[in-house]
Amino acid sequence: MSTAVQEKETILNFLDGDFGTVSNIPAIAGLNEKGAGNISEFPFPTKKDEDWRFTDLRSISRNHFVPVSEAGANPVGDISEYYLPEATNSRLVFVNGEFNPELSSTSDIPKNVVVGNMAAYSDHEILETHLGKYTNYDDDRDVFAALNDANFKDGTFIYVPKETKVEAPIHVLNVFTDAEKAFYTTPRVLFVGEAYSKATIVEEHVALTQNEYLNVTVNEFKLFEGAHVHHARIQRDSKKANHISRPIAHLDKYAEYHSYTICLGAKLFRNDPRVVQNDEEVDFTIDGLVLIDGDQIADTHSAIDHRHWHAKSHQLHKVVVNDEAHSIFNGKIFVREDSQKIDSFQENRNLLLSVDGTVHTKPQLEIFSDDVLCSHGATIGHLNEDEVFYLHSRGLTKKKARELLVYAFTLESIETMEVESVHKLLLDEVVKYTSRDEEFVAVGK
Amino acid sequence: MLEIKNLHACVEGEDEQILKGVNLTINKGEIHAIMGPNGSGKSTLAKVVSGHPEYEITEGEIIFEGEDITELDADERAHLGLFLAFQYPIEVPGITNRTLLRESYNTIARENGREELDPLEFDDYLKERLEVIDMKDEFLERSINTGFSGGEKKKNEVFQMAVLNPKLAFMDETDSGLDIDALKVVSDGINKIAGPENAIVLITHYQRLLNYITPDHVHVMMNGRIVKSAGKELALELEDQGYEQLEKEFSVNGEAQ
Ligand SMILES: Nc1ncnc2c1ncn2[C@@H]1O[C@H](COP(=O)(O)OP(=O)(O)O)[C@@H](O)[C@H]1O
Ligand SMILES: [Mg+2]
Repeated sequence: MSTAVQEKETILNFLDGDFGTVSNIPAIAGLNEKGAGNISEFPFPTKKDEDWRFTDLRSISRNHFVPVSEAGANPVGDISEYYLPEATNSRLVFVNGEFNPELSSTSDIPKNVVVGNMAAYSDHEILETHLGKYTNYDDDRDVFAALNDANFKDGTFIYVPKETKVEAPIHVLNVFTDAEKAFYTTPRVLFVGEAYSKATIVEEHVALTQNEYLNVTVNEFKLFEGAHVHHARIQRDSKKANHISRPIAHLDKYAEYHSYTICLGAKLFRNDPRVVQNDEEVDFTIDGLVLIDGDQIADTHSAIDHRHWHAKSHQLHKVVVNDEAHSIFNGKIFVREDSQKIDSFQENRNLLLSVDGTVHTKPQLEIFSDDVLCSHGATIGHLNEDEVFYLHSRGLTKKKARELLVYAFTLESIETMEVESVHKLLLDEVVKYTSRDEEFVAVGK
Repeated sequence: MLEIKNLHACVEGEDEQILKGVNLTINKGEIHAIMGPNGSGKSTLAKVVSGHPEYEITEGEIIFEGEDITELDADERAHLGLFLAFQYPIEVPGITNRTLLRESYNTIARENGREELDPLEFDDYLKERLEVIDMKDEFLERSINTGFSGGEKKKNEVFQMAVLNPKLAFMDETDSGLDIDALKVVSDGINKIAGPENAIVLITHYQRLLNYITPDHVHVMMNGRIVKSAGKELALELEDQGYEQLEKEFSVNGEAQ
């Protein structure tokens, strides 16, 4: 690759790596090459870029990241506490981005279904046909999707053939271990669900220690006619980590895609979920729940593209902010001229527990059609003092009253979890989040 | 049981006094009624006694079972056995009646060195207490007051009282807005709860509640003070004459006395 003098900084200023070598899997090699070109060309974003106005990227730009192989990363030990009982034999484990066959088990997966790592299916026709066909982040000169393209040599590959239902939830568990140096890693997921197939996926990112790393993920989900996917995404990265996430779903006729992203970890989390409607009568969800404190930044820039008739979309984005944490929400909804009978719901509700927390929220509707039912709203509030007193007067300490109220605020999002153990895990996380020693400072009417 | 002495209170951070020297003594086993025109300070009195942080006590004392409770937080007062049935019970979406009551009951039990109830025992206990107020089981699963009718909200306050079994309850206009059937159920419930070991203060606008619950003492509150106390006949008197007569009587000397 050429190293022409850059006017602007690129992400290469902040990481080491040799992006000249490409995967020996043809489907991946092409993306590696394209990505390598893009990362040396796309400028690293600054606050002058509209999409990055409020996002402080210094936790990346003031750091330096090396490939995992050079980071002196600890080997993984027993991580069974992170396994889901429902997915005992439908689990893929990636350690610092690298597939770990010993910790993975897929014996509950039907024989005609593929749940595995890409490298093991290097000449699979579906992989060749679909990998890299759905991301559109290059259109925005997105350096992070480009980094993922350039760097990934393996990833998660899920293929559910026609009219097949995968009963067990598929657990894609990304764990991160402690390391001597800050590293970067680029998990990649390709999901292809053929006509009238059905699957549940739990994508999880969890750090075993509080170390620094850069986790840049790209997910491509292709749902053919009538395919049905429930996708839970649980982000429990290290509170010193950066997680940049690019999940995109392409939906054919009658497809249903419901995704729920839970953000608990990371110093910086930037998530740009996108849904593209390819045909009529699709139904989809991109809900989010964010619980942040300390100096965490959680930024969601979503784009929902209604291109055809009869789409139903749902986006409830709930955020709780404590300390000096910062939440950013920018929800773009497009309704193209040719798409009528659209029913679109978007709401961003923010609960601020501290005086120093910050919330930026911006619903952004671009509607070029007239037969549209589009409800959208954004609220920012404190805990309601009257509610606190009501519970307090019944004998609950103020702290307990506040905990219960925060818990109640999050419940609506958590109840959408289909997998029982994930539901429970999240309830525990909420309790952990709310039951800190200090009291929340900010209250309001 | 409760002794309020020369109680003065204002809204936290403001000068204007709302309570201007309330004196009130309540003994075990008694039912009191506090009546009075709108804005006379009845709700403020109830909230100040229960420890609402919006108000500041500028003078006087509240002695509950021999202990000055003016410095205690609302939860600590609840642990001692005080209860306020709110005039406007607020909605708390996302927290069910059951969750609140179990947390509440067990906290109070713990603070008093009594045994907490496990979820199954507590469920049985709740079902038994539901009968006091003639409510169905599904009531327990609903978020506190959320989407309740006015009458259901008031019933829910009485239900909470039935479960928590306080020593002293202030019931702030628990009767207002109830239709005749609901009024009967509510007063029936209060009568079942009332006993020789507890005391109840009914704050009400109207005599009509007192057709169903017989108070031992009736007080009239005006302009931040209790201006007249007597037996249950006072309520009937007020029903006939309204507050005008009393208002004249007590405004003759203006603010003084
Ligand atoms: N939180 C408050 N802020 C301002 N004024 C208040 C507040 N609470 C009570 N007051 C005032 O105190 C007076 C007594 O109110 P309240 O106790 O509600 O009367 P009642 O219950 O007898 O109708 C009224 O003038 C009311 O406006
Ligand atoms: Mg009142």
